[in-house]
Amino acid sequence: MALTGLDIFKQLPKTNCKDCGSPTCLAFAMAMANGKASLDMCPHATEAAKETLGAATAPPVRTVKVGVGEQEVVMGDETVLFRHDKTFYHPTALAIQISDTLSGAELDAKIEKINGLVMDRVGQKIAIDMVAVTNCSGNAATFKAAVEAVAAKANFALLLVANLEGLEAAVPAVAAKKPLLHAATAENWEKVVALAKANNCPVVVKGDGLDDTAALVEKVAAQYKELVIDFGNKQQAKTLAELINARRLAIKKKFRPFGYPLLACTVATDSKEEIVEAATYVAKYASIVCLKVDEKAQLLPLMAWRMNIYTDPQKPMAVESSKVYEIGNVGPDSPVYVCTNFALTYFAVEGEVAASKIPGYIVAVDTDGASVLTAWAAGKFVAEPIAEFIKNIGIMDKVNHNSIVIPGYVAIISGKLKEKSGLDVIVGPQEAAGIPAFAKARYPHLVK
Amino acid sequence: MLIIGERINGMFKDIGLAIREHDPKPLQEWAAKQKEGGAHYLDVNTGPNSEDQTIDLPWMVSVLKECTDLPLAIDTTNYDAMEAALIAYGKPGAIINSIGCEQEKIDRVFPMAAKYQADVVCLCINKVGIPKSAEDRVAMAMEFVANAEAYGLQPDNLFIDPIILPVNVAQEHGIEALETIRQIKMISNPPPKTTVGLSNISQKSPHRPLINRTFAVMAMTAGLDSAICDANDDALVDAIATARLILNQDIYCDSYAKVFRQR
Repeated sequence: MALTGLDIFKQLPKTNCKDCGSPTCLAFAMAMANGKASLDMCPHATEAAKETLGAATAPPVRTVKVGVGEQEVVMGDETVLFRHDKTFYHPTALAIQISDTLSGAELDAKIEKINGLVMDRVGQKIAIDMVAVTNCSGNAATFKAAVEAVAAKANFALLLVANLEGLEAAVPAVAAKKPLLHAATAENWEKVVALAKANNCPVVVKGDGLDDTAALVEKVAAQYKELVIDFGNKQQAKTLAELINARRLAIKKKFRPFGYPLLACTVATDSKEEIVEAATYVAKYASIVCLKVDEKAQLLPLMAWRMNIYTDPQKPMAVESSKVYEIGNVGPDSPVYVCTNFALTYFAVEGEVAASKIPGYIVAVDTDGASVLTAWAAGKFVAEPIAEFIKNIGIMDKVNHNSIVIPGYVAIISGKLKEKSGLDVIVGPQEAAGIPAFAKARYPHLVK
Repeated sequence: MLIIGERINGMFKDIGLAIREHDPKPLQEWAAKQKEGGAHYLDVNTGPNSEDQTIDLPWMVSVLKECTDLPLAIDTTNYDAMEAALIAYGKPGAIINSIGCEQEKIDRVFPMAAKYQADVVCLCINKVGIPKSAEDRVAMAMEFVANAEAYGLQPDNLFIDPIILPVNVAQEHGIEALETIRQIKMISNPPPKTTVGLSNISQKSPHRPLINRTFAVMAMTAGLDSAICDANDDALVDAIATARLILNQDIYCDSYAKVFRQR
């Protein structure tokens, strides 16, 4: 939401002097709201007005970066409350906690385990993003040693969780890694912020609920703006409400104190509950979720969820085209179905092939995620590209027959496809729902 | 887009007679008929022939309150009658229709709106008359918004009416009104709502429904939120329902015109 006429009008001197070329301050405010005038045309505008109006044109949520190089995590710069309005840009960073009470071999094993939290999903690498070293020992020297050990070996950006003494001991040694400091509180913020500023690190401002945190951020932001906000999670439902209100206020009301990335630490003690709690924060605006869980099997669904939430809804969802899908217990006699890689098309076909009770191969031709008829109309699902695709993917080497099944709606391409590919092209039903009946009639000997 | 049905007005013979005899039946019939047509609000106006608006208007409101769940737009410039009608209405959510841009009117009506939790139609017109340019109209809109804040009303409690004049004699005003509507949406956040007396655009012209619905669609594109109009002009309501789709205000379905009327 751009600046409104009323917002601007409130900042103007109300002299109606016409020095700006507009007949009244009101008319000038509307001209500015329309983008037809700028504040520097008003010779009487105060510094405070310039500051306020300048801030209002800044993006609603500031971009803050943690870590350097390969490990850098970018947060903030979000513009919508619902992904369907545009998209969410920067996926929630997942931070896994390491206590500084670990040392030696135990600590090494833990770092090793966390470094291993990297997975492949639909052809993309997914991983956690941060290691949160926590000063559970309460001892500054112990904390410093643990932080240095983790910084030397961990493959991820650092989140340092400690009191003032702990941070003062540990930060200078790892400042080059640009860790995120947790946290500036009502008691210690002046010193923690000074430390962050001196070492050029972002810092978490931790308050207690909305009002308290807003007041604290306002004080801190006057001196330093590389901030992340933590509302001091004590109850899940309250934290969810705080995340939602903060993001709403930042985007809808241009409320500057909440115009920063948000951090939430999970409070659930049971690891399954913790994943569910974290999933809630991922869906609702958290830029960082700090977790205790470190089991791959438990983190995978959370990462898959994050990946899905942060996909761009304006791009069609596509399935991988680089592999042949095997539905059921396939063998050399199994039929080969050809469709496009549009997710909705593929899953419709997959479901019906499974329902046919006849194992089959599915080849999802890369049509940039377009459906059968859309791709056909755009020349992406026609004889030549399909023949080429089938040849390259090598599916016909897996079967002892020479036939492929194409969607009934593109029966028109069957002749040319046969010519180009040298295969028997069988025209299947128009709708995927017709596949079970089609398969049973055509391959009665394969019915299990 | 909210449709404020214009039919319950003493200017129409049947309603005028009903008011004179305090016969509720025609009011009840028109309330039901306009709702069926697609009205979201019912405008209530005694017309010029009422002996005493402070009696007739509350009576009309009481009758309608009993027979319909649609909120009412209380249409009068007699502020005593307006207050009596608001008391008779006795619940939040009415619309006060209307005031011009004059401080004494604002000072009289805005506190009433706050007290009875009603929205207010604010006309971009003052003692001097109807401004020509969009700029002057927007300045009046801004004055209403600034005053609203002082009286504890939200900007979106206002329905600002840029004033529509007949296209056959005041052709150059139409485009200024459209530009006014567009700019009103930039006055504040939340922005004020907008409304028009739609039928004015086609006074004394042929093919009135065609002119009305064409302007309605154009004004919706500029940001129009509501119109006082003929809720039983099916072609108009269809055009409004269609414009809502194209503006992505309603989710598409094949029976969109029917769904719009049922809401």
